[in-house]
Amino acid sequence: MTDRTKYTPTSTISSVFTGKGFLRDSLLFWAAVAGLAALGGLVGDSYFRHVFILVFIWCIVIASWDLILGYAGIFNYAQLVFFAVGAYSAAMLSIYAEITPLLSIACAGVIGAVVGALVGLPSLRLKGEYVALFTFAVHLALPPIIQQGKAIGMGGKTGLLGVPWLNLFGFQVSTIDKLTWFWVSLAFGSVCVYLIYFLVLRGRMGLAFIAMRDAGTFAQAIGVNESKYKLLAFVVSAVFTAIAGGIYAHYTSVVTPKILGTEFFLMAMVMLAVGGMGRFPGAILGVFIVVIGNELLRSFDDYRLLFLGIAVVVVVIFFPAGLIGVLDRRKPRLGKR
Amino acid sequence: MTQMIEVLLSGMTQGAVYCVIAIGLSLVYGASRILNFAHGSLYTLGGYIAWFFVVGHYTLPLWLGILASIPILALSGVAIERVIIRPLRASENWKINTIMVTLGLAFVIENGLQLVFGPGTKTIQPFTEGVLTLGGITLSWYKIYIFAISLGLVAALEVFLTHSRYGQAVRAVSQDMQGAKQVGINVNQVFGLAFALSVVLTGIAGILLAPVFLISPLGGWGPFLKAFVIVVLGGLGSTKGAFVAAFILGVLEAYIVFFLGPNWAMPAWLVMLIVVLMIRPKGLFGVWEN
Repeated sequence: MTDRTKYTPTSTISSVFTGKGFLRDSLLFWAAVAGLAALGGLVGDSYFRHVFILVFIWCIVIASWDLILGYAGIFNYAQLVFFAVGAYSAAMLSIYAEITPLLSIACAGVIGAVVGALVGLPSLRLKGEYVALFTFAVHLALPPIIQQGKAIGMGGKTGLLGVPWLNLFGFQVSTIDKLTWFWVSLAFGSVCVYLIYFLVLRGRMGLAFIAMRDAGTFAQAIGVNESKYKLLAFVVSAVFTAIAGGIYAHYTSVVTPKILGTEFFLMAMVMLAVGGMGRFPGAILGVFIVVIGNELLRSFDDYRLLFLGIAVVVVVIFFPAGLIGVLDRRKPRLGKR
Repeated sequence: MTQMIEVLLSGMTQGAVYCVIAIGLSLVYGASRILNFAHGSLYTLGGYIAWFFVVGHYTLPLWLGILASIPILALSGVAIERVIIRPLRASENWKINTIMVTLGLAFVIENGLQLVFGPGTKTIQPFTEGVLTLGGITLSWYKIYIFAISLGLVAALEVFLTHSRYGQAVRAVSQDMQGAKQVGINVNQVFGLAFALSVVLTGIAGILLAPVFLISPLGGWGPFLKAFVIVVLGGLGSTKGAFVAAFILGVLEAYIVFFLGPNWAMPAWLVMLIVVLMIRPKGLFGVWEN
């Protein structure tokens, strides 16, 4: 009791996360982003740019999903609900209220926060797989609701067409202008991913998430407010995903309930499974592999979804930690669940 | 008034079938603590196997089709446990891994069925087209058969679980896996048995409802969600609870569909789930497990 210096001060504990290698990792990250930006300028093929635009948008979604599922250990399967909410809000705000697209994307983020809290609140009372089921039920219930929402201009089955183009300082950025879109989506994607992995998850919140995931009762005992941080995980994850949905809506200029279909959900699951959860940059690598792989599989269109499903099963059975687990076997995982 | 009673009766019939699906789901969850997200696709699989025997390839009568499907369904259950679940049970992240893998399996089954049978809907002729009229209320004989078969299945399972040696082993593992191991119960075998029974139950439910609803590759998610809500409301591991909950929720659904239309069925179940979790997370009869 007398020798207080024996206890490790809190600052050293947190510095393992924020401090150690933070600058180095950040520099590496932005160097990679700069490399990608240059690549987009050098390779003129518009199909190539289109694939990478999708990669950057997916990166935001998967990074947010990794935050809540991999780091906070909350089995949330309503991620694409947040994406759809973002896409629909941005589309409807810019079509009906004629809000300029960048602002509509920001509004989508705010609406995403509200929906994230709404999905998160009932989940606070649930544990483990019950959260998985509840959130997945929300995912399943949304398409019929959108169907009913036709009356308030949600477009029903055919979806919303003619979502306005992005207006960047007075310039209209059409869907065909792939180079601008490449850089815009890269900017959004890199900033969001950086915020998620470097600021949120390396900070106090990330520590709380990992503590909750690895030792729930103990985390509460040392003063981690479980309800608060679980709700925060939902809200933060939903905000970023909704922003990604907004970007997607303005890029494709069409929003349909297909967002909530099997293909998108399977893609997202394969990305997380292949990359590996809770371990940067696993999930991000997963996005690159799966989006590009999916485009290569286009010629086997009938079997593509079956193949994606089999990929989930096989990867989870044989490589439960994903690619990142295979790549660095030496380091222990940031904590096991 | 007669219409209201007809809706009530049709809700009760559906409730009885939902009860069968729900008991299948809770059987596996009780024994292995694994929530099988492929449960709904296995329901669909049952419908397609019977369709194959009754309409598609052979033209067996429906009851023979059901009998022929049972061994195939049981084998699928054993195979799922052996090939997919068992390797993951020992892993440190088994909970998230089994969720991912059963979800993946659900999509594999769905897309496999879609490739083999095509994306369109299929239907099976019921045993009988006859209708029973009683005091102005009409009810199809087929629905009465479904009702009786479902109740029979539930009763048979209950007797099996309480009176047979294997059934008691399943219950022992559900209550305390370590203890069951120590008294010499082969836990792997019990898991295999639980999965086989579960798939058979949900598969038969899928066959029974095939003439009422149509069969389609993606049709399993609704029954799966409903089964889960019933399990939650009834209380985990309580057959009595699942039985009562299935009737309450089945009838409620029938009235919602009658007054608001079929598009509201899924959102309504979601609302029911939230209400149940808010008011009584323990369920009607069960003891809440974490």
